[in-house]
Amino acid sequence: MSSDIVVSCKGVSRTYQEESVPVHALRGVDFEFARGEFVSIAGPSGSGKSTLLNVIGGLDRPDAGTITVDGVELNGLNETELSDLRLHKMGFVFQSYNLIPVLSALENVEFIMQLQGVGPAERAERAMSMLDSLDIVDLADRRPGDMSGGQQQRVAIARSIVTNPVLLLADEPSANLDSATTEDLLQLLRRLNEERGVSILTATHDPIVMSYAQRQVNLRDGAIVEDSAAKVA
Amino acid sequence: MPLKLLLQLSTRNILRHKRRNGLLLAAIIVAVGAVTVSNSLIRGMQYDMADAAVSNLTGHVKILAEGYRDDPNIDKNFVLAENWQPDVAAEELVGWAARVRVPAVIMSERGTRGIQFVGIDPDQEDISFIGQAAYDGERLTDGSDGRVVIGRALAEQLETTVGRRLVIITQGADGLNREAGFRIAGLYDTDGTSLEKIFVFTGVNTLQKMVGADVFTELSIRLVREPFLFQFKTSMIEFFTGLEVLDWRELEPQAAAMFVFADAAIFIWFFIMMGALIFGLVNTLITSVMERVRELGMLRAVGMRPKSVIVQVVLESSILMFIGVACGLIAGWLFILWLGEGIDLSRFAEGMDAFGMRTTMRPIPLAGDMLLVAGLSLLFGVLASLYPAWRVVKIKPLEALRR
Repeated sequence: MSSDIVVSCKGVSRTYQEESVPVHALRGVDFEFARGEFVSIAGPSGSGKSTLLNVIGGLDRPDAGTITVDGVELNGLNETELSDLRLHKMGFVFQSYNLIPVLSALENVEFIMQLQGVGPAERAERAMSMLDSLDIVDLADRRPGDMSGGQQQRVAIARSIVTNPVLLLADEPSANLDSATTEDLLQLLRRLNEERGVSILTATHDPIVMSYAQRQVNLRDGAIVEDSAAKVA
Repeated sequence: MPLKLLLQLSTRNILRHKRRNGLLLAAIIVAVGAVTVSNSLIRGMQYDMADAAVSNLTGHVKILAEGYRDDPNIDKNFVLAENWQPDVAAEELVGWAARVRVPAVIMSERGTRGIQFVGIDPDQEDISFIGQAAYDGERLTDGSDGRVVIGRALAEQLETTVGRRLVIITQGADGLNREAGFRIAGLYDTDGTSLEKIFVFTGVNTLQKMVGADVFTELSIRLVREPFLFQFKTSMIEFFTGLEVLDWRELEPQAAAMFVFADAAIFIWFFIMMGALIFGLVNTLITSVMERVRELGMLRAVGMRPKSVIVQVVLESSILMFIGVACGLIAGWLFILWLGEGIDLSRFAEGMDAFGMRTTMRPIPLAGDMLLVAGLSLLFGVLASLYPAWRVVKIKPLEALRR
């Protein structure tokens, strides 16, 4: 895809029914996200930032509007096609790491490449190289249960970017981390963004995370109220 | 589909809950082992019943004069050429025996009984129970032997024993009563007592002389293998025109029905055991996948297809079933080896005898039965895992991640 726009949202709305009461999580959101950007979606709880991340990631479907990721319009895709899109174009970093508990760190990093059908030798080489670049090669044989939260989140990031995704989506990546580990993590994300050109879209209400992003989009009550380049820390 | 990856995940997930899956595995092993042992015992009973029916002077095929079955009389007879041989390859034939059988009355000093008096050539009787029975005293020596052998149970009823004389009365070919005295050569002993009370044997030539006709009333032929029976019976019908040619299933309908029932019993028992097991398996799998909804949701969020999630759950069940079935078959086989010659049920001899069964329940494990158990168990394992797998993929990845 030659376009510089990775994500395009036009008039995206999403309403949930909570005990028969409609909750308008997104109200006609228009948003574009360029290749190589590090964008933070900020806002208070219930502002719709996670919902926006989920509909962009194809984990949820909007009630109205269109979403295009790297030139592919998500609206018409079925579950399997969405799975394939996530597999080949996106990386995910979750709030609670979500590593596979029965696999070692190395195997977790290799996991998505296995789904993609990458051969064992190339897979192992790329995974080790990624662990090395994130300074966690000594964790290669450890399972998630034997790692700290910060270590698990580093492994989760390694897993999400080892396949060179078009887009890295991170939902509250610092929620379970202390501030020192959060700083480490954000340094890492910035390095990935600057050195590898990874496009990062993060939903957060943590000011430290916001300060690391190049651009900050503020949501309130499901609508964008401010969209400006953030001051880099 | 990354089958190797799914296999790795499934294996490790099984090992993740060692105690729970260990208990499930134990249940599968016990169920499969029990079914294997019970199947072999049912097969043993089935084959014993069939063998007893065929050995009961019946053979696989029997030739009788028309009307003999309704009125078993010396009048209903046939003549067999002296050099007659069944037209069948030697490797398909165990043997054949031509006999004279008439109803008679036997008397000792202390009792009188109604019996079946049978003239035999002892050299031909390897095909029947009388050729295989244990004896007190002597066996008949040949077709001209003028003594009798009687069952141990009949000897007890008549309060007589080896060396004593008995009087036997029957009807001759001329319709007149014939009476003759016989010395007891030996007492035969069979598994049950019903045959011992009914059949009294003498040389075939002796009985032919007594009834005054050089004829036979029955010809029994025993084959090596049952599947050859239909073809052979057809050829006998063509050869013995005007005579009745019957197979053992027609002559022993109760045993034949029990034989068929045993086939059904194997399936019934299997479905009862596996049915109970499958409920446990489904329950365990549902617990297992519902505990991992969030994890499975994450797998789908990062790009695993719903189909792959289903395969992963099915693989977990299949691996458990495969190990359980293999160990269950081995355990069952070892138990069968331990049983050795079988279980002695001589305490229930009367009841067993009524069903034509032997007093020792010996196991006969068949490869076909084991393959059936293995195949159906694995199939049930796969089917049982489809419901939990379907339930978990019905949950959207986002919903799963929120749990």
